[in-house]
Amino acid sequence: MQFCRAGSIDEAVAELEHWGDDCRVLAGGTDLMLQFRRGEVAPGALVHIGRVEALRGLSTNGVTRLGALATHSELGSSTDLCERHPALVQSARTVGGWQTQAVGTLGGNICNGSPAADTIAPLLVAGAQVELRSARGDRRVDLEDFLVGRRTTVRAPDELLVAIEADPLPSDGGEVYLKVGRRGAMDVAIVGLAVRLRVAEDGVVSSARVALCSAGPVPFRATGAESMLVGSRAEVEAVDAAGVALVDAASPIDDGRATARYRSRVLSGLLARAVSACIEVARSRGEQA
Amino acid sequence: MTDDMVAISCTVNERQHDLVVTAGETLLDSLRNRLLLTGTKEGCMEGECGACTVLVDGLPVDSCILASASLDGCAVRTVEGLGDRESLSHLQQAFVDTAAVQCGFCTPGMLMTLTALVEHVPSPTPDEVRSALSGNLCRCTGYQQIVDAVVAATGDRA
Amino acid sequence: MSAVGLSVPRSDAEAKVRGSATFGVDLAVPGMLHARILRSPVAAGTIRSIDTTAARALPGVHDVVTAADGPGGRTGVIVFDIPFLARDYVAYEGEPIALVAAETAQIADAAVALIDLHIDEVAPVATLEQAMAPGARLVHPSWADFGTAGGAQFGRDGNLVAEVFSDPGDVDAAFEVADLVIEDTYRNPRQYQAYLEPKMALATYEAGRYTIQVSHQFPFRLRDRVAQVLQVAPSAVRIIGHHIGGGFGAKLDVGLEAFAAMLARRCGRPVRMVNNHDEERLAAPCRANAEIRVRSAVRRDGAILAHDVDVVFDSGAYANNGPALSSIPMFMFGSIYRAGTARIRTRNIYTNTAPTGAYRGVNGPYLVFAMERHMDHIANELGIDRRAFRLASLADDGHLMRNGQPLEELSILREAFDLVEERAPWAEQGKGPLRGVGIAAAVWLTNPMPAQATVKLNEDGTLGVITSATDNGSGAVTTGLRQIAAEGLGLTADRVVVTMPDTDLTGYDAGSQGSRTTHVVGRAVRDATTSVRDLVLETAASMLEAAPDDLVVEEGSVHVAGVPARSVTLAQVGQTATSSRGPIAATSSYVTPSPPYDPLCTPGMLFSAWPTPTYHVHLAEVEVDPVTGQVTVDRYVVCQEVGRAINPDAVQGQVQGAVAQGLGYALWERMDLQEGVYVQRSFETHGLPLACDVPAVEMILMEHPEEAGPYGAKGVAEPPIVPVAAAIANAVADAVGAPIDQLPITADVVLDAIERAACA
Repeated sequence: MQFCRAGSIDEAVAELEHWGDDCRVLAGGTDLMLQFRRGEVAPGALVHIGRVEALRGLSTNGVTRLGALATHSELGSSTDLCERHPALVQSARTVGGWQTQAVGTLGGNICNGSPAADTIAPLLVAGAQVELRSARGDRRVDLEDFLVGRRTTVRAPDELLVAIEADPLPSDGGEVYLKVGRRGAMDVAIVGLAVRLRVAEDGVVSSARVALCSAGPVPFRATGAESMLVGSRAEVEAVDAAGVALVDAASPIDDGRATARYRSRVLSGLLARAVSACIEVARSRGEQA
Repeated sequence: MTDDMVAISCTVNERQHDLVVTAGETLLDSLRNRLLLTGTKEGCMEGECGACTVLVDGLPVDSCILASASLDGCAVRTVEGLGDRESLSHLQQAFVDTAAVQCGFCTPGMLMTLTALVEHVPSPTPDEVRSALSGNLCRCTGYQQIVDAVVAATGDRA
Repeated sequence: MSAVGLSVPRSDAEAKVRGSATFGVDLAVPGMLHARILRSPVAAGTIRSIDTTAARALPGVHDVVTAADGPGGRTGVIVFDIPFLARDYVAYEGEPIALVAAETAQIADAAVALIDLHIDEVAPVATLEQAMAPGARLVHPSWADFGTAGGAQFGRDGNLVAEVFSDPGDVDAAFEVADLVIEDTYRNPRQYQAYLEPKMALATYEAGRYTIQVSHQFPFRLRDRVAQVLQVAPSAVRIIGHHIGGGFGAKLDVGLEAFAAMLARRCGRPVRMVNNHDEERLAAPCRANAEIRVRSAVRRDGAILAHDVDVVFDSGAYANNGPALSSIPMFMFGSIYRAGTARIRTRNIYTNTAPTGAYRGVNGPYLVFAMERHMDHIANELGIDRRAFRLASLADDGHLMRNGQPLEELSILREAFDLVEERAPWAEQGKGPLRGVGIAAAVWLTNPMPAQATVKLNEDGTLGVITSATDNGSGAVTTGLRQIAAEGLGLTADRVVVTMPDTDLTGYDAGSQGSRTTHVVGRAVRDATTSVRDLVLETAASMLEAAPDDLVVEEGSVHVAGVPARSVTLAQVGQTATSSRGPIAATSSYVTPSPPYDPLCTPGMLFSAWPTPTYHVHLAEVEVDPVTGQVTVDRYVVCQEVGRAINPDAVQGQVQGAVAQGLGYALWERMDLQEGVYVQRSFETHGLPLACDVPAVEMILMEHPEEAGPYGAKGVAEPPIVPVAAAIANAVADAVGAPIDQLPITADVVLDAIERAACA
């Protein structure tokens, strides 16, 4: 196995073009090194992008732009993001421990394609797009379309994920990420739920986005649940109906962490909790504004 | 399936090292097998227990899942770099004084995470200590005397 | 007191915080080879063929060993059922089949992968139910030929490893006159010790002797077991112990040592072996999974007329210490609470799963869980307050346990209930929706097994304690034994050095198990120190020209009573003695004498009495999340009787640590078996408690010094895990208003209970 150090995006893209699917992109390595050690991957080369400055940085002018190398620690401690993407910040703080957050990157979390990726659900409710670059050119893909199956994405072997763009939380909005794990930290999500609502002054939900992780082969938007919330005032009946739709949309599995039955049975209660939290956030933001 | 060798240059406990490592080699293996710094422990090899925690550029990392080849130019700090020949660091001394050490296998990793914590937050609350230690397992102590040690050590400084 | 009762630091603390302490896995010697194991990939099957040709041909490979090369026969601690390597069949996933020694561990691993193994897999005997079913396949078809240690006799039959059945004959009659019959069935999973340092061995072979360096809890058993496996004399094996990265019972038997020793002899090179993390999980003797059925005959006024108890616990593929552990239920029912009579049947069962064994508290945590859940059930059924029912049922001093042994100080338990009440008044705990409180009590033992210790006075006035007692983290050796020795000569503990174990040099010791070190080894150290003190006085008497009885030993010197100026230092005494009568040293041995019991009560009890009992009451307050089913432990109170706290900080650390392990067992940790195979294979899926999960335990220390113990000390470290699952389960059941009859109390279990409570 070769170790290729990329000093720039162009160098990284050139290496990817050269190696194709015989290489793996190494950023923080918290997933890749584990897969490598377990023999799950045996690439001809590691393309290390950890020193590519152009892949770093958070930009919060208008649309939010997050460099692929943004670490979970950076996301979790950014005061700008706290305001614009509170659910993303909450999710980043739940990934592993400090050691994994310090080196694990957002780009890695997305490209790894885990059904349990905590940061993806909040990005889905923020309408995120990923920006991919290759020698063939650039393209942007909706995050929803980027994820196609367990551990699979539409990223071509020669493509580098450069950045993620997402819509900040509107001033009349609230959002939250709720994670169910067994312990207070370190757990892969048993279920993760992100909800973003916009609430009009009269209390009517004008827009709703709901996304789940660990409830199917990929994290996904639950549009059925969203439509039950839009136009409602988040009354018990509407939230219950949204909960039923959420359970319908999920296709959870049994694994060593929890049963499919458990994953399903917490969803509607979790949604109700998330909706209340969103409305509370929206209200307090409205008061501040 | 032989791995290419990669030359890196980094500091370990403020001493310059030019190392040649394999492409997939972990920092933990480099420290223990090449530099014979065996204070850093191998607990699980999957980034779950934190026994292998060291500081890279001041941040705690699980050295068992960090590629040495990616560390060219970095500053690595291990448990051997805490304190000096004569005296222990405040945290080390507090661990001794408050019975925060039992079997001691998690201790080096604990100390590295906590060293980073007090460099970021000079007087952490018990909850901040517990939260910072999420990635460090201890099966012996139930954590309380470790939390006590940090509070004792940082209280002295304040 | 100069040392006892003080929270002195561990002698190894500085080395451990510096990272300079050498653990077993840190050892290396020039020229060593690395060995790895081919383990069974399946739970059960017949070995059709093993072809090692390709593995042997791999450059860097020195040796490949299969059952055909090894010593024949089967060995074990109690039942001789374990082959050196699997020969004809495999009995569990992870069972060793072949060994490879090579220049590096990587080469050894590659060679293991090249061994061509063919196993005809068969459906595993995966569960207790399957193993006990009529006509079940036998895990070991030749079980009847297996010998036992000392020819011990106990109920064995096919998949039944051992049975202990105590039936006084009056139980059915008691049920006939009962107002109520309360019946429960409890289930619990396995628990993995989850120490962080994996098992290892570094063996050399020279001039007919094996030297094995390890981190092991019981070097002398290891010596004897390696000798048994390799069919050599115990004196041909030397065990040298190093710092132990946790054990909790998992490092009491032979692990990799005999393999490394055999390879070292065959290769003519030192051989190092270390398990990887997944192997460790497969090879650790987890606390057994079990099913406990308890029926009680109860009178309206709350009197328990009889218990009828049936315990079935999983031995896994080999017996280990299961036949001895089959006696434990005899001490857990009808022991602290009065019961007119009791029938107790315990069966230990072979299955095609990894062998179970010793983990802190052995079967105690699940037996107390069953007993104390059942007490809650009876109280609720009778409409009596759960705590009041316990106090009313609590037996008095001298109460006979089911083995006929009197508990002479059982009233300590009543005092413990009172002290917990003072700290956390029962009526005020667990109030509010989905909050609950639980209480549980237990009596536990202090392991009585033998110790020998030598104490010597060095010529600089310090003491040396020479012992093969091991400190796997508790501080019993690195603080307790040093403090006990120091106290005998009025020294501070920092004036005492204690050795690491070496079976060639240090006297026999039964290892760190069952909280025995401070009590049993400490007693040997105290007695040896007393002899040293006598020699000191004798020598000083001639130096000071005074009678020994007129001398006082304190603060490192000896002086004439009332005349402090007439004194000599211990260093002077040591030097004088060495050059005149010879160096001062003394050796003492101790085994706790068996308490009185009725040897005829139950045949087949290998563990017949309950020496040096200690008493425990735990109280837990919890809160349940109705959406996720998650349990938060808001408060945890422990009242523990320790005889005498030699080192209060160390006691606190044992209690806090044991409660953390107990909380993990009760709430978070998973070691599920599916078709005989462990499901959770990483720390993440396993779910060990983290710093953010474990509350600060409130500790109430009770001291009732015990005459036989050193300065009154009894065992401390093992029992605080025993009542935890019971206290938590009682609190959760109280919070949700429905019984909790299985462990772990997963979020699913909690949500089910909430639903049941809503339906009721």
